[in-house]
Amino acid sequence: MQPQTIWQRMLGIDRRLLYLLLFVNIVVFLLAPLRMPASISPPVQKFYDEIEKLQPGDLVMISSNWSASTIAENQPQLEAVLTHLMRKQVRFTFVSNEAQSRDISLRLAERITQGAGYEYGTQWAHFGFVPNLIVAIKGMVNDLPSTVKQDVRGTAITRLPVMQGVKSLSDYKMVIDVTPSGTVPNWISYSPKNLVILYCPTSVMAAEAYTYLDSGQIKGMITGAKGAQEYEQLLNIVGLGTRFMNAISFSHVLIIAFILLGNFAMLMQRIQLSRED
Amino acid sequence: MDWLQQFLPLSAERLNIWIGVLCTLAIYSLLYRENPVYRFFEHMYIGLAAGYSLGPVTIDILYRYWVEPIWLQGYWAWAFVVPYGMYLYFIFSERYGWVSRIVIGTLIGASSGVFFQQFSSLYLPQLNSTLKKPLWIGSANPDLTVGMVINNILFVAILLSVLTYFTFSYEQRGPVKRVAIWGRWFLMIGLGAIFGNTVMARMALLIGRIYYLLNDWLMLRVGGG
Repeated sequence: MQPQTIWQRMLGIDRRLLYLLLFVNIVVFLLAPLRMPASISPPVQKFYDEIEKLQPGDLVMISSNWSASTIAENQPQLEAVLTHLMRKQVRFTFVSNEAQSRDISLRLAERITQGAGYEYGTQWAHFGFVPNLIVAIKGMVNDLPSTVKQDVRGTAITRLPVMQGVKSLSDYKMVIDVTPSGTVPNWISYSPKNLVILYCPTSVMAAEAYTYLDSGQIKGMITGAKGAQEYEQLLNIVGLGTRFMNAISFSHVLIIAFILLGNFAMLMQRIQLSRED
Repeated sequence: MDWLQQFLPLSAERLNIWIGVLCTLAIYSLLYRENPVYRFFEHMYIGLAAGYSLGPVTIDILYRYWVEPIWLQGYWAWAFVVPYGMYLYFIFSERYGWVSRIVIGTLIGASSGVFFQQFSSLYLPQLNSTLKKPLWIGSANPDLTVGMVINNILFVAILLSVLTYFTFSYEQRGPVKRVAIWGRWFLMIGLGAIFGNTVMARMALLIGRIYYLLNDWLMLRVGGG
């Protein structure tokens, strides 16, 4: 039996070894006392600027449709955005189009708002799980109290101080869609044209949204944990986005190194085989 | 000793974290090899997610939008809605399968109407924005920079070449074929960008779980921030 060349050994490497290297790489860079600065991308800056334009007391709808599976991307986004909204003293309400997100976003909002002294019912509210986003948006455009009826705690939304004078979605200034799914086209299509739409997708969904950014249909975007890190930097806070970013950056470096090594090994093996032939 | 006491699952909060860690490690055990522990936790997760949805569906939908209007507000006309929806289950019957088509027809009709509006609201503004892109600096657009003009020209060129690639009404030859090939290359670059973002998303999810193990379970100070 012919001994294997170094290139053959590299191509036949056990993938579990690569997983282990990736794991060690992530642990090291999560624990390393480093903080990489972020360059602020234009969509994140626009997102920030749009929220800066809000006046105290303005009303914002947060569409939170993420569940446990994308917590690492959507949670840092939502935490950063809520922090900014509370700094601006605006009122906000949540609506969830995903069953799991009802409780996840509620607990997250309760934790963040309690820390900032924001009062439920007066300054913010959660409408719970409202199914079928398209029908829900169309209903809220026509008659919001009849569509939503109650908040997540079972109180009629007409009795919530935060909702006083609100008849439809047109009374809101902004919608922020925090989501791992393709829900933003629904907000663009069916919400009132005066509403500013901001988007917090997972990184997977972000590339498709640039067309909406370009046409002005959405005014700003925070892309995954990377976008959250940029937003945290704008807010001058340290959140999960910042904590994750070292590990994300260096795991990318490792993956790029793996790809380059794998391709180089394959190329060298081909060259060797052609010489032997 | 203090650390050990805090670490062990001696409180409800710690027990919760330990269960989370057990689930995380069981799911990631697939990376080593296929095994019954992974299968068990995978099925448990699917079952939990499905079972969990029953709560919000019952409380936030059936009760809020069906039971309450009928029983408390007297909208008896709503009583037929859920049985009508349940006609869908006739799809499993060979004899009465046709009944389900009535509901399917309703759904298709409603969806078509809704998507007709979506098409015009979603794509016409994009078309409008593309047509209005200035391709040169002039008195009409004094704020335009050279970079923006190059960006706009690239945008229009890529749009036209990709559209050419998707023109299947006739055989593509000569210059049209060359433009279509460029369109395919641009598409590949776009798909590469999407794939790059996908890698970033998956890494973030993995890092989120490892962060949970280090920060919440082992109570190590994660120093990246």
